[in-house]
Amino acid sequence: MLDLSDDKGALCGKLFADMGADVIKIEPPGGCLTRRIPPFLEDQPGPDRGLYFLAYEAGKRSVTLNLESPAGRALLGELAARADFIVESFPLGRMEALGLGYDAIAKINPRLIYASVTPFGDTGPGRDYKTADIVTWAAGGAMYLMGEPGQPPIQMSLPQAGLHAGGEAAVASMIAHYARGADGLGQHIVVNMQACIVWTLMNEQAMPILHGDYLRRSGVFTGAIGGRRKTVYQCADGHLSFLLAGGAYLNSTNAVIAWMKEEGAAPAWLTREGGLKSLTPSGFMAASAEDYAELDRAEEAVQSFFLTKTKKELWANILKRRLFGAPVANAADIAADPQLHARDYFVTVEHAGLGRTLTMPGAFAKLSATPVGPQGAAPQLGKHNRAVYGDLLGRSEQQIAELRASGAI
Amino acid sequence: MSAMPFAGVHVLDFTWFAVGPVTTKYLADYGADVVRIESAARPDGLRLAPPWTDAQPGIDRSQFFASFNTSKRGITLDMNQPRAREIFLRMLPWADVVTESFTPKTLRNWELDYDRMRAIKPDIILLSTCMQGQTGPHRDYPGFGNLMAALSGFYHVSGYSEAEPCPPYGAYTDFIAPRFAVCALIAALDYRRRTGQGQYIDLAQYEASLHNLAPMLIDQAATGRVLGPVGNRSERYAPHGAYRCTDEDGHERWIAIAVADDDEWRALLGVIGSPPAAAEFATMAGRMRRHAAVDEMIGARVRGRGAEDLTVALQAAGVAAYPVQNCMDLHRDENLAAFGFWHWLDHPEMGPSPYEGLEHRMSRTPGDLRRPAPKIGQHTDEVLGEILHLDAAEIDELRRDKVLY
Repeated sequence: MLDLSDDKGALCGKLFADMGADVIKIEPPGGCLTRRIPPFLEDQPGPDRGLYFLAYEAGKRSVTLNLESPAGRALLGELAARADFIVESFPLGRMEALGLGYDAIAKINPRLIYASVTPFGDTGPGRDYKTADIVTWAAGGAMYLMGEPGQPPIQMSLPQAGLHAGGEAAVASMIAHYARGADGLGQHIVVNMQACIVWTLMNEQAMPILHGDYLRRSGVFTGAIGGRRKTVYQCADGHLSFLLAGGAYLNSTNAVIAWMKEEGAAPAWLTREGGLKSLTPSGFMAASAEDYAELDRAEEAVQSFFLTKTKKELWANILKRRLFGAPVANAADIAADPQLHARDYFVTVEHAGLGRTLTMPGAFAKLSATPVGPQGAAPQLGKHNRAVYGDLLGRSEQQIAELRASGAI
Repeated sequence: MSAMPFAGVHVLDFTWFAVGPVTTKYLADYGADVVRIESAARPDGLRLAPPWTDAQPGIDRSQFFASFNTSKRGITLDMNQPRAREIFLRMLPWADVVTESFTPKTLRNWELDYDRMRAIKPDIILLSTCMQGQTGPHRDYPGFGNLMAALSGFYHVSGYSEAEPCPPYGAYTDFIAPRFAVCALIAALDYRRRTGQGQYIDLAQYEASLHNLAPMLIDQAATGRVLGPVGNRSERYAPHGAYRCTDEDGHERWIAIAVADDDEWRALLGVIGSPPAAAEFATMAGRMRRHAAVDEMIGARVRGRGAEDLTVALQAAGVAAYPVQNCMDLHRDENLAAFGFWHWLDHPEMGPSPYEGLEHRMSRTPGDLRRPAPKIGQHTDEVLGEILHLDAAEIDELRRDKVLY
């Protein structure tokens, strides 16, 4: 796979590298954009220190190649002739202008699968629009639903939109790969980032059409229309995701009330025969104002109880009592999670440029016959020029030196 | 046009809620014959969840379920009945892939696992996806993607400050894990086509979703730092945020703007006007340092502008911007419309209903929402007739005995 993408497609190549593909990151002079995305290790910028770069370019090879130079473009053509996949995320028309668009590449390699990641598709009035993670988050409807009513809507603090798009590019490339297995032919894929974010909305798109209204951001309350439930509680040392509700949540709701009763922390009205009146069978339906008053009081009682417990105590009881809850975990909590360690999840790789090891998320799934997982650290800039231009394309040392001198690589 | 990529691939699909059904939907929309095996004794929770047609609940009225189950057929089989399990095992040779998304004890209770299936269908591919994986001390943890979003760190990096977490909407990790699951499944299908071997896939929603926070985890392991929420700030762009525009029809309208460099900053000022104070913010470093003041300046200058017109003007000047869209806006969005994103499919009970379409387009073997989601048990007779050659009398008896239920 030739990876010419930026942060809109990097996860595609990462997934392919994890599945064992030879992914070559094609980097312009100065290095690919993901090398410059903050934050950096120890807040020290440097081409090998960007956390986003270290995460999503891992396991790829790196070559430098200047697409502005005719010799550079010729090299890319030679690589494309041998490649199975290309993923790119340039502004629309840029690859065509360089003579490297899908139609041109398909002439030299009809087997090739060529994925183009676009912010807003390739046909609408916004096809040439610029984007940034927060802008796609807004365009796709996720931002509108996130934040406190009296404050601005918010993003997620670590970029997400490009990862949804990169994952989608990987899926589509795999589908096209399966199709190619039948007839040997490749094709062009256009990924739409904005649409990828619409798919994170849990079908809220249909609410205004079927129920006549749309959701507003509601902070830590779940915003189901006609239903308002607190979803984040404070505890002694942090926060907990928890929901008092009926339906699928009914057993969990009753179990937490039973736990409070055991510890003498449940007011009498909370434990009366028959449970909370307000817990409707579906757990989703609108309830009466009276029901809401009851639920509000129940939420207050549960909140007071949780304030006496640590995240660790709560988690132990969630597991023991089968509550639908989860501590709001941070990176340190996750790194120490015994479940992930029992499954040997984290993987440590050597980074030659940094002269140190890095520990990163491991196999995204456990496959019994064809295991997947990280294949190494993110590459230093141009580390594989000799291997790729020499071993793969057959250039001599002399020719590589000339390509370098001319600014092609 | 070529045949669809997965034409002839047969899937028996026990998954429910979101991760599993969204995963098998990718196969179904590309031609696989995906048969959802459900039971009215324990229906898929999404069938009971809104939005419903005409806001009226009903097991065949949920668009939440429908949107995630296009192009599939549906049968009912109450697997808690021994005779139902026999029927499943008789159907197994027909299948290329079996998928399930229960906590691990469900398959154990049904006396089913990969080895048992492999004894009947040697090259079967089985995908199990649950919250935390099939092994380990927390394997039986039940839950939904909203809880997993808390447990896997997304809630912690969402909000205005650490004291004030403000989670992403809904079951966020439900919409991360499927793409990893589809890659794993197609890799297994491809391997099987080349070697004749099936395999077992154990995908934990947790482990797949953590890849979307990999930078934070690498950082913590390397330096001990624990990244937290930053509101709408960025270390890469300034200004960077959401700014309130003119209200429309009594509703708030906001625009998201991200400025990547000083040229874009000047372009922004060209659109919103440049007050004397702007001179202090000419450099990225200066804007980062005084982001609150920059926000205030922009906020004051866009409050009287329409979000849509401002988007067009900013994008024409080369600045990344878009209205903060609500779900009604999405249906009017010209870019989604031009991409052909929205589909209206005519469901036998729900009538014409709005479905999210594909997030990509393929030039040679395009996918399609081939049919609306099945009503519960809609294809029981058809599928059992086709695969097991059961006749109407046998099916009636099984239905009477609540095996097909």
